[in-house]
Amino acid sequence: MAIVAQGLSVTLGGRIALDRVDARLEPGQVLGIIGPNGAGKTTLLRVLAGLLKPDAGSVRYDGAGPRELGRRALARRVAFLAQDSTAVWSLSVDAVVGLGRLPHRQAFSGENEADRAAIVRAMAHCDVASFTGRTIGALSGGERRRVLLARALAVEADYLLADEPLAGLDPGHQLETLQLLRSIAAAGTGVAVVLHDLSLAARFCDRLLLLHQGRGVADGAPDAVLDDTSLAEVFGVTALRGSHAGEPFLLSWQTTTRGPNDDRR
Amino acid sequence: MRRPTVDGIRLSFLLPALGLILLAMGVASLAVGYASLPLAQAVSDVMAGRASLPALVLAELRLPRSLLGALVGFSLGMAGAAVQGLMRNPLAEPGVIGISSSAALGAVATFYSGLSATIALALPLGGIAGALLATLVLFILLGRGASTMTLILAGVALNSFAGAATALALNLAPNPYAALEIVFWLMGSLADRSMSHVWLALPLMLFGWALMASTAPALDALSLGEETAASLGFDLGWLRARLIGGTALAVGSAVAVTGAIGFVGLVVPHLLRPLVGHRPGRLLIASGLGGAILVLAADLGVRLLPVRPELKLGVVTALIGAPFLFALVQRLRREAL
Amino acid sequence: MRRKRRTDRALGAALVVASSILAAAPAAGAPPERIVSLNMCTDELVLRLADAGRIASVTWLSQDPRNANMAETARRVPANHGLVEQVLALKPDLVIAGAYTTRATVGLLKRVGVTPREFGVPRNLAEMRAQIREMAALLGEPARGEALVAGIDARLDALAARSPARPLRAIVLRPNGFTVGRGSLVDEILTRAGLVNIAAELGIDSYGQIPLETVALSGAEVLVLNDTPDGPPSLAHEVLHHPVIERLAGRLRLVALPSRLWTCAGPSVVDAIEHLVRATEANP
Repeated sequence: MAIVAQGLSVTLGGRIALDRVDARLEPGQVLGIIGPNGAGKTTLLRVLAGLLKPDAGSVRYDGAGPRELGRRALARRVAFLAQDSTAVWSLSVDAVVGLGRLPHRQAFSGENEADRAAIVRAMAHCDVASFTGRTIGALSGGERRRVLLARALAVEADYLLADEPLAGLDPGHQLETLQLLRSIAAAGTGVAVVLHDLSLAARFCDRLLLLHQGRGVADGAPDAVLDDTSLAEVFGVTALRGSHAGEPFLLSWQTTTRGPNDDRR
Repeated sequence: MRRPTVDGIRLSFLLPALGLILLAMGVASLAVGYASLPLAQAVSDVMAGRASLPALVLAELRLPRSLLGALVGFSLGMAGAAVQGLMRNPLAEPGVIGISSSAALGAVATFYSGLSATIALALPLGGIAGALLATLVLFILLGRGASTMTLILAGVALNSFAGAATALALNLAPNPYAALEIVFWLMGSLADRSMSHVWLALPLMLFGWALMASTAPALDALSLGEETAASLGFDLGWLRARLIGGTALAVGSAVAVTGAIGFVGLVVPHLLRPLVGHRPGRLLIASGLGGAILVLAADLGVRLLPVRPELKLGVVTALIGAPFLFALVQRLRREAL
Repeated sequence: MRRKRRTDRALGAALVVASSILAAAPAAGAPPERIVSLNMCTDELVLRLADAGRIASVTWLSQDPRNANMAETARRVPANHGLVEQVLALKPDLVIAGAYTTRATVGLLKRVGVTPREFGVPRNLAEMRAQIREMAALLGEPARGEALVAGIDARLDALAARSPARPLRAIVLRPNGFTVGRGSLVDEILTRAGLVNIAAELGIDSYGQIPLETVALSGAEVLVLNDTPDGPPSLAHEVLHHPVIERLAGRLRLVALPSRLWTCAGPSVVDAIEHLVRATEANP
């Protein structure tokens, strides 16, 4: 059981966004997709979510292709948390989380018991149950993100793909979100996250996939992927490493003399 | 778990309530007219099949007027909600963004050229063609969550163009009365309509309503953006096709038989939105019913006002709707800051 | 500033042309030989009273048989669109306009020395007769004018004899749902045709709108539809084809009366009266 992507190539607006990238997401794991700006992280995530068709290559969800599965089945199997989700309408928190049940609901029927139970579970897991009765517009940025995460959780899909869920959050909320994602993975979901922060990626992900200029450069455990060579070549930084209470951590410390954009095509 | 204040009123209560108000409006609309009509007697004559004069006036003059008012109001209300859901903007409305005036242009072209005299269906089809063109242009130019300013400016451009082209078409029309009839097409009226207008518009309107109503769950999902909606299993292309097509069908056939009655699709969804918990999917049918109520109420006003010749319906809706639009724009500006 | 100079230049050019026209004006007392009419109603009178050879131009509207009563005769004469340049190019010795001809045109013609003679719309048959005589005198055909009036009076007397015993109640329906009220020429026409104008009873003055509901419930015995037959479509005329009118056809007499017969309040109104009398005396 896994999402397996092989040889994905995507050209967007004349530019090569992905060049023969392989990826694999297994249940119970947190996969971090990292790389500099323009590396193709969001594009890869969108292909994995079935939102974008690759020009070449294939994605298989537990062995089945997206066309075989069909839209709704795919929606039940893979949940996607978009980067920027502002609700235009002042929906209630319950209504927003309830949207996550749409892939399960019949066309015009209301929510059934199973739906309501899933909503309750999702809200509890993301600690937004106390927001019942409020509208999403009345919440702070961090609170809103938790509600949107609860929406993605409510799908109760096998896989959860999150596009830069930490962007714009306070340090506290960033840690909170990653802890939530880890707990979601621990419950059996396969989680893929696009991250910019290397320290957080190193700490909270089981595996990392490093992309650079549309190509997959490294794929494996964090300490293997984030070696000094990769850090210098891809990000143009040197890092300090350390450990605390047995947990290793990583800090980007200095830029190298050679920038990562020097040999940009 | 859901509190009625934030999530609105249950649809199973709201819709029948609106339906009842609509029914009451309909009866009131039948009871009001230009000549005193013994309504009860007329109704019993019609039911019994007696062809008396009161029955004639009821069946051929008052009934089509009320029916058409409700149908057109429903179409405009629902289309307003649909367009707002599609463009994710509360200021989008068929009249404001130029769909209604383009529909009028299409209808004018088929009416004064004599085409609709040969093929009756050409009239609503002309209106639909105009509406479709405008909606497509708008969507292609700005569709995905365009800023309010861009949307309104596009509407100004479309309205100006369609209005000027309509005036030109009317001036070129062979009949000298035509040039004066622009007020009907751009402001709308229910006067002197007949059951033939009802039958002409109804099938296409029904089709449009069905298309729009089918998008309810997808519109809800669209609240969180296009990517999230797609990830929830909705086919965005098909969604847009249904919304654009449904709007064009409903607005096009409505405008073809009554002219462009503005602001209905702006005021009604805005008023009803809190009652449906701001969910765009739920707003569709509720806005339809609300629109029907508003148009019938406005038409009652037009007939009760001692102004002769009768005021155009669009005048009344504009007098309500334009200040509304101003207030809405102000509020959105404040919220954006 | 520029506009004024341009107008002045145009005026100057016009003056040159006009002076050549005035030089060609006939001696006082002689009948005009180059008559230009700028109004559809004056066209009709001119066409009836003067030979085609003396008419330099009538308006283009008069050449349409749907709108004008002397269309055939009008086609033998050049048409104008009421523009000052056209008028001057025709070198008229008499220009006739209606009271509603564009004021700017009339004003401009006056300034270049070609003062049009203006004719209003007669409000009753007496004024109509007076207008025929005045026009005839102006055109130098007083005899034909008298003959026309005499013919009209003779027909009116004949028609009076055919009027129904009891006056029938009638409503006139015009485009856009307008009707004719009391004190208008049409009101007089209806009376002479043996009809009672219900709109006048309802207190509608001159021209006002009458709702279709009132038409249906008024107890009318005759409904006169004032239409332009085979005309191009307009909403104004759609009202006259409303299904309720067809449904009324069984209960009262529907008379289709072409608008052109009485639009100008001219000699053709007698045709209108005859039309009405014939329609009401036929068996329902």
